[in-house]
Amino acid sequence: MRIKGALIRIWAYAGIITVSAAIVFLFVFVFIKGASTISWDFLSQSPSGAVLGEEGGILPAITGSLAFTLTAVVIGAIPAIATALYLVFYCKSSKSEQVIHLVIQCIAGIPSIVLGLFSYSLFVRDLNFGRCILSSGIALGVMILPFIEVRAEKTFREMNMTMIQSAYALGCTKSHTILTVVLPACRGELFSGIILGGCYAMGATAPMIFTGAVAYAANPTSIMKPAMALPLHLYLLVAQGTTSLDMAYGTAFVMMAVILISNALVTIYARRRQRAWNQQ
Amino acid sequence: MRKISNTIFRILLLILTGVTFAALTFVIIFIVKEAIPTFEEVSLGDFLFGREWLPLDVGTGHMSFGIFNFIMATLYVSFLAMIISLVIGLGASLYLSCVASSKVRGLMYPFIDLLAGIPSVVYGFIGLTVLVKFFIRAGVHTGSCVLASAILLAVMLLPYLISACSETLLKNKEKYLKAGTSLGVDQWYTVSSVVLPASWKSILTIIVLAIGRAMGETMAVMMVIGNANLFPTLLGKSESIAALIALEMGTAVNGSTHFHALYAAGLVLIVLLFIINIGINLIRDKLIK
Repeated sequence: MRIKGALIRIWAYAGIITVSAAIVFLFVFVFIKGASTISWDFLSQSPSGAVLGEEGGILPAITGSLAFTLTAVVIGAIPAIATALYLVFYCKSSKSEQVIHLVIQCIAGIPSIVLGLFSYSLFVRDLNFGRCILSSGIALGVMILPFIEVRAEKTFREMNMTMIQSAYALGCTKSHTILTVVLPACRGELFSGIILGGCYAMGATAPMIFTGAVAYAANPTSIMKPAMALPLHLYLLVAQGTTSLDMAYGTAFVMMAVILISNALVTIYARRRQRAWNQQ
Repeated sequence: MRKISNTIFRILLLILTGVTFAALTFVIIFIVKEAIPTFEEVSLGDFLFGREWLPLDVGTGHMSFGIFNFIMATLYVSFLAMIISLVIGLGASLYLSCVASSKVRGLMYPFIDLLAGIPSVVYGFIGLTVLVKFFIRAGVHTGSCVLASAILLAVMLLPYLISACSETLLKNKEKYLKAGTSLGVDQWYTVSSVVLPASWKSILTIIVLAIGRAMGETMAVMMVIGNANLFPTLLGKSESIAALIALEMGTAVNGSTHFHALYAAGLVLIVLLFIINIGINLIRDKLIK
């Protein structure tokens, strides 16, 4: 009896120590290895060199990634939040709610590479868009749609009902209540869902590998053109072998820094809002 | 006026929801439709259980589409990753739910969530520079192997596992621990003999969801698994379905059997997820009383 308890206890401590060590290792490893590569030139120049990317910087990859992420967020977040609003505030038939949930779960279960394949044959091939930011953006948008919808729906359902009921009691219409009470109250959670969804889209390589991200392109000017992307750039640098390894560490550094900063922002914001709620 | 804007808003939401629903359904139907022509060329049995994958006619007039090795590799890597991740993750969840104060928990959750944000290429990159090098030193031929990708995947699964498991454990702890303590039972004994067993059912559901993630993961696995059409062994090379699609999508000729076969492989991946999902739900009640 004592031994069983003690073993569980050791398991608990060993588990948390392993996890923390892994996280610290991943970030410290990339930051130490990449730090020497990071410079203003690296961030502000285009890749160059005999083997592309060996010299120069990653500016088009950064702007490209921004373009991909923005397109994905616009395509994914608006329908996601609209669907969540509809399900929580308007949908009265539990059957249609179930069907919509089922479809969203199915999409969440589709591997991202299959979404890439889908976008490749429909948009790049059949509709003749060619490889472009839009083709990738749609695949990425579909990928992050369930992610944002689930978070948004949870937020709406956990909202303080008395606030909504009071708005109705004051004679506000449903749309007025949603626009002036619900959405502002859930603003923080919705933004954090969108930012984390955006990070997810930024880091995904599989859906854009044949649909819009290319080895070299100038800064993106139109969503109907292909662009560079940080994750694909990293993948290609790694695939090229040892000569571009320093640049690969630098690229990984940039992505890890973006992840760290956006997660920190979301956490701090959530903490502050929670404190504000508790004081009310 | 108010009424009109209310109606317009409602209709707008309805349209957006309808479009979302239709688009998502369309994606699913499209994938199925593109996969079907494969089976005019290859029988379902040959496709699922064949071990030869020769998608291009190189003059011999012989083409073959068998994805058995890819299926087995996908399952092997995912389950192995799941086991590794569960051993570490469940321990960490026990700590978070039964040891940590709510303040520590509030700090640890976002810290662990960082893992979920790291792009899979970065995982693959670190896997190549650290894990694969380690395996080479340990005497594995090229360093790329199933075990390396399983370890990498295990780390990627940790955040999902830990957040879901510790939530379940926390709920059960709050339910039972007070009763145990007031009976004078050691806290850890209550955890091991009441809280943990009571949570198994939910943990099983969490495992299924995590396996789904593992099976669809492309880049990280592709970068360290070696990509050779071989039956998976712990220290050997292999290739997962997702890696197969990613590697050959660019070279497959439009409309060829090769191209449709890649869709069919993707469909097999989705169907596998479904079967595991439904199967576990069916046997869950019998497995855990």
